[in-house]
Amino acid sequence: MSLVVDVMGGGVAGGTSIMFAALGETVGERSGVINLGTEGSMLVGALTAYAVATDSGNPWMGALAGAVAGGTLAALHAYLVVFRGASQFAVGLSLLFLALGLTSLFGAAYVGRPVVGFSDWHVPLLSDVPALGPIFFQHDPLLYLSYLLVPAVWFALFRTRLGLLVRTAGERADSLTVHGYSVSWTRFGAVTFGGMLAGLGGAHLSIAYANAWFENMVSGRGFIAVALVIFAVWSPWRVMGGAYLFGMAIALGPALQARGYEWNQFALDAIPFVMTLAVLAVLGRRTLSSSPAELKRVFENAPT
Amino acid sequence: MSVSKSTLRLAAVASAAALALAGCASATESVGSTGDSAAPGKGTKAVGFIMVGPKDDFGYNQAVYEGSQVIKKEFPDLDVLTAENVPEDDTAATTMEQMIDKGAKLIFATSYGHLDAAMKVAAAHPDVVVVQQGNTISGAVPKNAGTYFGTVYEPMYLAGIAAGASTKTNKLGYVYAFPIPQTIANIDAFERGAQSVNPKAETITVSTSSWCDPGKQQAAAASLLSQHVDVLTQHQDCTATVIQAAEKAGAMTVGYHADASSLAPKGWLTGAVWNWGPLYTDIVKTVLAGDFVGSKFNANYRVGYKTGTNPFVLAGFGPDVSADAKAKIDAAQKWLGTDAGSPFVGPVEDQSGKVVIKAGTVPTYAQNDALSFFVKGVVGKLAK
Amino acid sequence: MTAITSADLTGSNPAPVAVRLLKLLPGLGRWVLAIAAALAIFSVLLAVKNVNPVDAYSKMIDSTFNRPRSVQEIFVQMTPLVLGALAVAVPARAGLTNVGGEGQIIIGAVAACGTSLMLGDSAPGGLIIAAMLVASMVAGALWAGLAAALRLVAGVNEAISTLLLNFIALDVLLYLIYQPWRDNPVGQPTTKELVDTAKLPVVAAGNKVHIGLFIALGLVVAVHLLLNRTRWGFRISVAGGNAEAARRAGLNVGVLVISALMIGGALAGLAGMIHFAGVEYKLRPGFGNQLGYTSFLACWLARHQPFPIVVAALVFATLSVAGDSLQLDSGLPGSSVNVLTALILLAVLGFTTKRKVSRS
Repeated sequence: MSLVVDVMGGGVAGGTSIMFAALGETVGERSGVINLGTEGSMLVGALTAYAVATDSGNPWMGALAGAVAGGTLAALHAYLVVFRGASQFAVGLSLLFLALGLTSLFGAAYVGRPVVGFSDWHVPLLSDVPALGPIFFQHDPLLYLSYLLVPAVWFALFRTRLGLLVRTAGERADSLTVHGYSVSWTRFGAVTFGGMLAGLGGAHLSIAYANAWFENMVSGRGFIAVALVIFAVWSPWRVMGGAYLFGMAIALGPALQARGYEWNQFALDAIPFVMTLAVLAVLGRRTLSSSPAELKRVFENAPT
Repeated sequence: MSVSKSTLRLAAVASAAALALAGCASATESVGSTGDSAAPGKGTKAVGFIMVGPKDDFGYNQAVYEGSQVIKKEFPDLDVLTAENVPEDDTAATTMEQMIDKGAKLIFATSYGHLDAAMKVAAAHPDVVVVQQGNTISGAVPKNAGTYFGTVYEPMYLAGIAAGASTKTNKLGYVYAFPIPQTIANIDAFERGAQSVNPKAETITVSTSSWCDPGKQQAAAASLLSQHVDVLTQHQDCTATVIQAAEKAGAMTVGYHADASSLAPKGWLTGAVWNWGPLYTDIVKTVLAGDFVGSKFNANYRVGYKTGTNPFVLAGFGPDVSADAKAKIDAAQKWLGTDAGSPFVGPVEDQSGKVVIKAGTVPTYAQNDALSFFVKGVVGKLAK
Repeated sequence: MTAITSADLTGSNPAPVAVRLLKLLPGLGRWVLAIAAALAIFSVLLAVKNVNPVDAYSKMIDSTFNRPRSVQEIFVQMTPLVLGALAVAVPARAGLTNVGGEGQIIIGAVAACGTSLMLGDSAPGGLIIAAMLVASMVAGALWAGLAAALRLVAGVNEAISTLLLNFIALDVLLYLIYQPWRDNPVGQPTTKELVDTAKLPVVAAGNKVHIGLFIALGLVVAVHLLLNRTRWGFRISVAGGNAEAARRAGLNVGVLVISALMIGGALAGLAGMIHFAGVEYKLRPGFGNQLGYTSFLACWLARHQPFPIVVAALVFATLSVAGDSLQLDSGLPGSSVNVLTALILLAVLGFTTKRKVSRS
């Protein structure tokens, strides 16, 4: 396979877990709440999905359970942030520690247990298209679900009443109150939904992509997801592109090494992060100006 | 808000006072253990094991943990203390000293990177024996310390024979974490084993810069498989991802640490698996009897096919290994046990074709532990 | 302990103290309740894992406070946490979120190590230490300055950029350890050990506590004064409170943002140097693992106030030492202590302040 197809296909497969999480975080941030606990939601999602898929033998049950677990952790974030007025950054990071501990406490039993995960399913006809086939249509069903989810989230955010509520909570919370809606509950719902998608992202990692559970296996992907949302100026479509781009940056290292190109291992490792920073710098103020207004408040007046 | 702020301020004052007190107290305590240094570790009530990762990683650390449980069974009077996820920095020394405070006079520091902390603890506690797994003490070995290891590259050489004989594409893939000598020796031995039966076989290496990041492992495995590699092996602490990736792609796999043939019933060839129980038992017996000083364990102790007690053994064979290959492996294992046998018997060329080990030279175990180059036939740049 | 000591210290005028203590009660009660709740929830988890909570707690307390070495261990571990938390507190006053302590600590240690390698072993120890101090602070400040510059020039949020810079710092560290600075091609990949004369002196022979602790405590006072008694401290808090108002008042918000974040970075860089020259003496692949994130949380626990940071760092260091007991005595996985830490934090963050204005 050509290097380009290889890297792009690897980027789609490897970027999907990040994309799920970033898509969820987009919804949460659109409502005005940032959740660094996304990493934690992915982690509990990964373990729960693995455990349920292993015990039930059904990967879809696993994915569902992963979403519920991720959503539960995010609901805790939403409760503390929205109803108790706690700091978004501190609670998010605490939740990551909680997730690290809980998954270590309850995950040990599942390390090395074989899982019934998702298998790759080549989409008829489409998978035979040169280049596009291997890049987009030779993956697992959970990944195909993400293809549907992106337009669905976009539609929900920008074309439905519910989406309007979420966005208003993030832009002009006061006017939501005036119209008799609860800003708090809107945010609670948005953040919890975001956590569910992060949980699905974790599930994709553990039962579709890597087919293993291991302590701290998310290793930073949730943080990347949070960064990507800003990178993608809170747009679901751009989140998709950003996640794939990041996935490709990860896939580039192994692809070059496998072809015998002599690159420094550690320079390759740094590429995804340098790239993300570079894009953020280039996009520059555009991201700031299109940031949800309430979120900007969070960023600019972070400490209490 | 302001209320709790002043609470904390008061508490800060209190703790500063406590700190001053504690400072005095700890200054008077000084070094705890001075006891008779005649026979370090003799009659210990407890044995400690520190592991760098989770004890159930289905890999390196699990093998250690299982070894520790053998000690528990063999010596029911001993308290077996285990600590997992102990980082390879000074906190390891802290954890070991907690074990000493709980009565342990024998500690197994089982990760390569635990050596510095182990030596520090050994120096501070002459009555405690600290043995380290896998690394090498350079210079004089203190009376109460030692390192031990097997020669995992020997079974990897044999596994390389299985891989070289079974590959159809002549491309073997190796997923590794970091360029440490142990890893380099494994990769080199694997390739040399493959070459010994299939001169065209090459080993393509991909690094992950992590001992266990399943996502990165998957990316590494996928990129190797797309290059028509048909045998995958690895040096990672957790192994399930790479093995399953190979199996799903219809490729063959050589395991590491643990027998994972159940994860790859079709593609499993063989693997190097670990059995620490007998060696651990031997060390504990020696220390309990007060015979550690001057014993073979009070050194950089290496076992292998030559000594006949290698803790690394070849796992069972999978369906793709031919009778012919099995016979060759068997012969090679016997040969490795002789004085003339070694995966690195000269001539050994590096990637550029330069002869590094001269024809006829049989390097010692210690020399093999210090390999720092990829041999000819290995594809990949070694970070050094 | 709190009540007795503070009463002793201010015993000369008892009446106001009594009044103050009485006023504290509701706040104190909330703290006690929050922490009790966290302990209770953790007990349930312990019970689920078939560990007797009473047993586990008493063993934790025993091995944390009744061992000769544990108190030293706690002080050693709290030292970089204090500095790391100050590194969050200073930018926070200017309304900035510094999640980059992790990377700044690594870069500080890298600079310190590089300096010691450059000077060589024959240089006088005092000179090496002084040079390492300066280098680590400059390096930490520059690393954080990258984030500050990105914010000013391109409007990149510093919480995100400092977070991403953490990952890059780790790659830099690994590169140096495995390649140019690798001491020995055979053994464990590390840098050369710091020469004895350049190691931070310990407070007493046989004791592990080094003078870094006093540097850290001194800086707590210095940062307190900087934030509360200087014009600069006042200005960054104005800028942090309302950037627009600050601009209208004629303050150069850009300079304030850069300086606050860089001072934070310098403090974190110093934490890295002190951990390097006081404890580790070598750079290893896992150097400073999670120190930055733990410091971040310690700072929030202390609500960004310098003196409370000392307490928060003490609490985190104690929990970390106590965590070993959970595995050694109770046979739980090593990361279990993270659960307890997080529960305490969440309880404190969520339930010890009055609810903020919520517009629901």
